[in-house]
Amino acid sequence: MGLVRRRARRLEAAISFCLFAVLLLVAVGVLIKQSDSNLARFGINIATAELPLEDSGKSTDDQTALSSLVPTGFKTLGKTGIYNPENLYEKINGKAPLYTESGFEELSTQRFVNTTDENLWAELYVYDMGSAKNAFSVYSVQRRAEAKPFGPMRFAYKTSNALYLVHGKYYVELVGSVESDELFSAMAEVTRKVRANLTIDPDAEITELALFPEEDLVPDSIKLYLLNAFGFEGLTDIFTARYKLGGETIAAFLGRRPNAQQAEAAAKSYYEFLINNGATPKQTAKNILEGKIVDFYGTTEIVFAIGPFVAGIHEAENQQAAEQLAERLFRKLREATSSANDE
Amino acid sequence: MNDHIDKELDRRQFLARAGKAGISIAAAGIASYLLYDSIGPAASVEAQDPVTLPNFSVPQIAAQTMSIVKGYDRVKTVNKAIELLGGIERFVKPGETVAIKPNVAFASPPMLGATTRPELVAEVVRLCYTRAGAKQVYVTDNPINDPASCFTLSGIGKAASQAGAKVILPKDNLFEHTTLKDGKLIRNWPIFFKPLEKVDKLIGIAPVKHHHRSGASMTMKNWYGLLGGRRNIFHQDINTIISELAMMVKPTLVILDGTQVMMTNGPTGGSISDLRRADTLIASCDMVAADSYGCGLLGLKVTDLPYLTKAREAGAGTNDYESLKPMFATVS
Repeated sequence: MGLVRRRARRLEAAISFCLFAVLLLVAVGVLIKQSDSNLARFGINIATAELPLEDSGKSTDDQTALSSLVPTGFKTLGKTGIYNPENLYEKINGKAPLYTESGFEELSTQRFVNTTDENLWAELYVYDMGSAKNAFSVYSVQRRAEAKPFGPMRFAYKTSNALYLVHGKYYVELVGSVESDELFSAMAEVTRKVRANLTIDPDAEITELALFPEEDLVPDSIKLYLLNAFGFEGLTDIFTARYKLGGETIAAFLGRRPNAQQAEAAAKSYYEFLINNGATPKQTAKNILEGKIVDFYGTTEIVFAIGPFVAGIHEAENQQAAEQLAERLFRKLREATSSANDE
Repeated sequence: MNDHIDKELDRRQFLARAGKAGISIAAAGIASYLLYDSIGPAASVEAQDPVTLPNFSVPQIAAQTMSIVKGYDRVKTVNKAIELLGGIERFVKPGETVAIKPNVAFASPPMLGATTRPELVAEVVRLCYTRAGAKQVYVTDNPINDPASCFTLSGIGKAASQAGAKVILPKDNLFEHTTLKDGKLIRNWPIFFKPLEKVDKLIGIAPVKHHHRSGASMTMKNWYGLLGGRRNIFHQDINTIISELAMMVKPTLVILDGTQVMMTNGPTGGSISDLRRADTLIASCDMVAADSYGCGLLGLKVTDLPYLTKAREAGAGTNDYESLKPMFATVS
């Protein structure tokens, strides 16, 4: 009888533990659901969920942040603003996708105002783009036509009221409120402080930049399109460069792929994209370009693969000049491929 | 202790208790199942009646719907443009209240062209008071950046105040929810309603700008500033939201400033080199027509901006601006 009772006690205890475990699981489930702030997951129309009206970029009192970069004769105007991919639109609205689709991680902003003239103010934007390549991409595609060289940096330019530069993985803008020598000097001082204060990886290089032939290359014309180059979704991570050749301006392009097979596939898919959109094959006397040239509504497009590179010429008015440049690009990329193989 | 339990509890009692516990659990489970609401509680705003913006438009007059004035001085061009349409008196009657909606989206200096020029806002305010005899003029917007900074740094706050207008900055209690009839996106969405609720007339003033997402930002896109909430989600369907804004807002008059056009890097710009002088200002009772002309200042065709066609199809106006027989003038 005692044995039966002991078994009953054990059974009762086991059932109790089971019930307790079930209750615990329910409680954990409730907590998990309550901690999930995505109302849409629970059938609540996101349209009814309002956010604060104020600029919700996180402000910081951290005086070691951008506010420490204040130039001589100026003081900070407002606090440092910090934006992430979720709320970047609150700062730059419709331009946010340009950054968020290019690896953007964080934006820090700070305004500086002259201590004696409140009309002299500038705003510093420091975009952390995650890599030097991403930073170069947003820098290059936004480069102003009237840009003039600025400072000793390779990727930096100025306009009459603003400064733009790449510093490692950072894309930096300084926008002045007016055209003013005094303001411009202050902005230049800020860029020097930015470069001194923001630590970067000194070994980060964008190796593709050296792969374009130097002859006839228009200085500072290289751009990097991380997505949808030439309106084709399949063409990603593409560098373009402009050349002045025989009185014509011609755009060359190249992109590195993980291996030769993928480069070949990329070239083939872009060629097919052109054909599917009305391009017609063109003849050429140059063997290396045979089967790689099309007429696209009166312009010449060339696309080929060499080693791990997909490359070509985009929308050239003159086929002869296009072929000449394509040949140079082909040879340069072949040299690069051979060198890499030798190593 | 065990002895005590043994005396208190025999197998029959244990089974009875276990049975009761089981019944209790089953009852709780059934009750939970019956009471479970798979949809979840409706948000409180669902219970509110959605508001509708008043119709601020004035009757159209043939060949006096749109004017295009060439010139660099915005004060002169806006005066001429409105004069060609019949004068401000056609649009604002003595004793009326007027809301002016400039583009104050960014805390940006006026020189960069990302916001409406302050002198243009001030001149329209002045016309409303001195020519039309308006009782009160409000200048308002719900900017992207911090509102106070936007109104201050754009120069619009100061210019409007000095011209006698009352500047209204957005606050939570000034928003109400609206649903656009036949709208796909504007459904139970908060809009900056209170400042417009009781005014008699509404005038939009916008610069011509390149826009990274929509191609161009002009008078129709300017109404984006009336939206509250997480309006950035509409960027995924930018052409639809702009056309729906054109359906939602029926302004008295729109003024499109193409004196300097932001040709690249919009909508924020940042450099003076993003701007190009076009020396053109458009006033129109038909904002679709105004924007259809304005896109040409950006080097675009009407077909390059799908929202223009959508807005026309929705009945918000015409993108064949020439059919309105716009009046042209040049001021020095």
